Amino acid sequence: MKKKISFIVTVLLFVAFVPLFAQGAPEAASEGFVPSKDIEWIVTSSPGGGSDIYTRTISDIMTRKNLVNGQTFLINNKTDGGGEVGRLQVSRTKEGKTANHTLLTFNSGDHGPMIKNTANRIENFTPIAVMAVDKQLLYIGEHSKYSSFKEVLDAVNSGTNIVIAGSKGDDISTYELLVKELGVTQNQIAFITNDSTSDAITSVLGGHVDIVMSKPAAADQYVAAKLLTPILALAETRFTGNLASAPTLSEVGNYKNVENPIWRGVVGPKSMSEEAAAYWSKAFQAVSESSEWEAEYITKYKLISEFRNKDAAKTYMENFQKTYLASLGK
Amino acid sequence: MENLMHLFEGFNYLFTLQNIGVTMIGAVLGLLVGAMPGIGSLAGVALLLPLTFKFNPTTAIIMLGSLYYANMYGGAFSAILIGIPGDGPAVMTMMDGYPMATQKNRPGQALLTSNISSFIGGTIGMIILTFMGPSLANAGLRFGPAEMTALLLLAMTSIGWLVGENPTKGLVLTMFGILLASMGMDTLSGTPRYDFGNIYLLGGIPFVPFVIGMVGFSQVIRLMGDRHKETQIAVKKLSIKESMITFHDLKRLLPPAIRSGFLGTFVGVLPGAGATTAAFMGYAVQKSFKSEEPLGTGAIEGIAACEAANNAAAAGAFAPLLALGIPGSGTGAVLLGGLMMWGLNPGPLLFTNSPEFAWSLIASLFLANIITLIIAWGIIPFLIKILSVPTRLMIPAITVVCIVGSYSTSNSMFGIVVMFIAGVLGYVLGNAGYSTAPAILSFVLAPLLESNMRKAFIISQGSLDFFYTKPIALAFMIILVLVILFPLIRLVLTKAGVMKKK
Repeated sequence: MKKKISFIVTVLLFVAFVPLFAQGAPEAASEGFVPSKDIEWIVTSSPGGGSDIYTRTISDIMTRKNLVNGQTFLINNKTDGGGEVGRLQVSRTKEGKTANHTLLTFNSGDHGPMIKNTANRIENFTPIAVMAVDKQLLYIGEHSKYSSFKEVLDAVNSGTNIVIAGSKGDDISTYELLVKELGVTQNQIAFITNDSTSDAITSVLGGHVDIVMSKPAAADQYVAAKLLTPILALAETRFTGNLASAPTLSEVGNYKNVENPIWRGVVGPKSMSEEAAAYWSKAFQAVSESSEWEAEYITKYKLISEFRNKDAAKTYMENFQKTYLASLGK
Repeated sequence: MENLMHLFEGFNYLFTLQNIGVTMIGAVLGLLVGAMPGIGSLAGVALLLPLTFKFNPTTAIIMLGSLYYANMYGGAFSAILIGIPGDGPAVMTMMDGYPMATQKNRPGQALLTSNISSFIGGTIGMIILTFMGPSLANAGLRFGPAEMTALLLLAMTSIGWLVGENPTKGLVLTMFGILLASMGMDTLSGTPRYDFGNIYLLGGIPFVPFVIGMVGFSQVIRLMGDRHKETQIAVKKLSIKESMITFHDLKRLLPPAIRSGFLGTFVGVLPGAGATTAAFMGYAVQKSFKSEEPLGTGAIEGIAACEAANNAAAAGAFAPLLALGIPGSGTGAVLLGGLMMWGLNPGPLLFTNSPEFAWSLIASLFLANIITLIIAWGIIPFLIKILSVPTRLMIPAITVVCIVGSYSTSNSMFGIVVMFIAGVLGYVLGNAGYSTAPAILSFVLAPLLESNMRKAFIISQGSLDFFYTKPIALAFMIILVLVILFPLIRLVLTKAGVMKKK
């Protein structure tokens, strides 16, 4: 009897364990990649901000359209060290299943400070996609002394100092480009960095500053309420709709147009496999081509939909880094 | 009067079974989340935002409003009962709330004082919001960098009331707080400061873990010394009656609560000032009025002053949020995101384009305020049961709360490290006779002062003119000078016999 039981136990144990060994080499054998566990998506800014909304919109569309094989997105807001900690962590993710299921929201506003303040570079990531681009304009408030950018320039030339209010990151680099192109000093046209564009708009609405730099979305309702008027398009061509009245810099005088590309993208860790990167790039392309993306993000936040797949995004981000490093003199 | 009509219309939208139901759910959840240290209103609203997705827009917005509002009540609970402030504004509540609950053995009364003052402050804020919302927002706009600099300089002098017995030690810690606050990325140019090559320090010292450590965890270390003592507090009965405050208490509570209600609303409207600053200022102002017991020893006036100010600020912050689309704080930004998700665009066009949304939101704040008061009142007897837990069991429990709270602010171990270091530091400083309040206050105010002052100087081209050419700034500067010179003036007046010797 005892022998019989031990035999049955042995057989059962064998049956129980064999499938484990059979799964020994799973993903290597399969061609291509399909998500097979929760996907961790890291956002390096706080909940509710622009990057967070962007991330949650995409993850929501992906889940609804079932582009992720029924898996769940875990969105993780890692804000330590101005976001650098989250970026470093993603760049150092070890090769394997986790690396293939890790995404990082990566915008020009993240890339710039990362290059400036740390040794981390885009080469430590796998670019997956660029989803949208944005541009800025200069606006004046209703109480402003000036009515056009031409008048502002005349005032500067006759010795008046002008202050532009704006937000962090992208706005600073655009301002630097503008000052350089105009050939004035940073005292003649000074810049005030605010924590957010809405803070900058507040200071113009209160008449404390002459000019504010903003992307179309943040200033939209103030333009509609005639509290802000666009006076300069920081772009190669004029904007449309209620922003069409703002000329580009080349229309104002003998200058080149100033346009600083602001982009929203996604990257993965460097160790992400080629197949996984290709899978994600396709998935983001599907989002970019969907009507939901158009309605819930592009139209709503007034961005320009401009999809770049993983290879194009790689070149794009590398060029951005090169230009930025050069401007820093590194 | 027109606004009152609108408000009643708002209530009209509000009074359906479903809406009142979600207001109650929002209030309960908001209270719970608000009471957890470290989570605070910012993360609380962000966490609970997805809950509203299943409702129709008006209902969802009503729920958001009540969530946000109930959050403001919850922060005081842990501050009063276990000496750990749940969020920034509760730091000041703790100063008197914790001694009142433990040393004075009146935990129920302390909680009730906090609830009633929150209610009074909130109601004052909301009434002001109802009648002068848009014009209030415009008044807030008048405060540019120059005006804010003058106001914050004045606020800095209030540290003088908090330095305690030894002014030198207080001053040292004030400087220490300013130094700590200057770590991390420079707010204007984005240049790293005092990061010591450490990537975590690039973002500076996070406020919530720092505060939890400095006042909360240092308390735990102190408790370890007394772990064998029997708990002094024997909570007799679990009844609401036992935690009622007397008529005399109510009389002590009202003046500071009403004063702080107005002050808090005003601070809430200002760009970037927020509820924490409001609570600090409410407390500091109370210092200059008469309190029956000295502040800091468990005085009802102390709790009332800061709780009313903080809730009034939360209501005041709605004025720029709704009328101009300007969020005054992180929480405001999340709320704004939530409102926009529902197609409601807070901003200059809100009151003309979608008045029913705006007014039902304001009406829901009123309702949430009342419901939260009732619910918070009802759970007091259960809450004070915490105090009868023996110290040796409380130590590990509070430690866990400190750790979870510090972790959840940025989902990382860094917060916990900061909390532990700040805790040991707070303990050592406390034993050496330093009061940590000045360090915390300067930690909050210094970054605001720095960025506003630098902005003001950029605008004025480095000239000091703005301190006297701008009327609002000038008014604050005059008050500032008077505050600084007051001891001297008093001396002169006493000598001349005009004033009595103190």
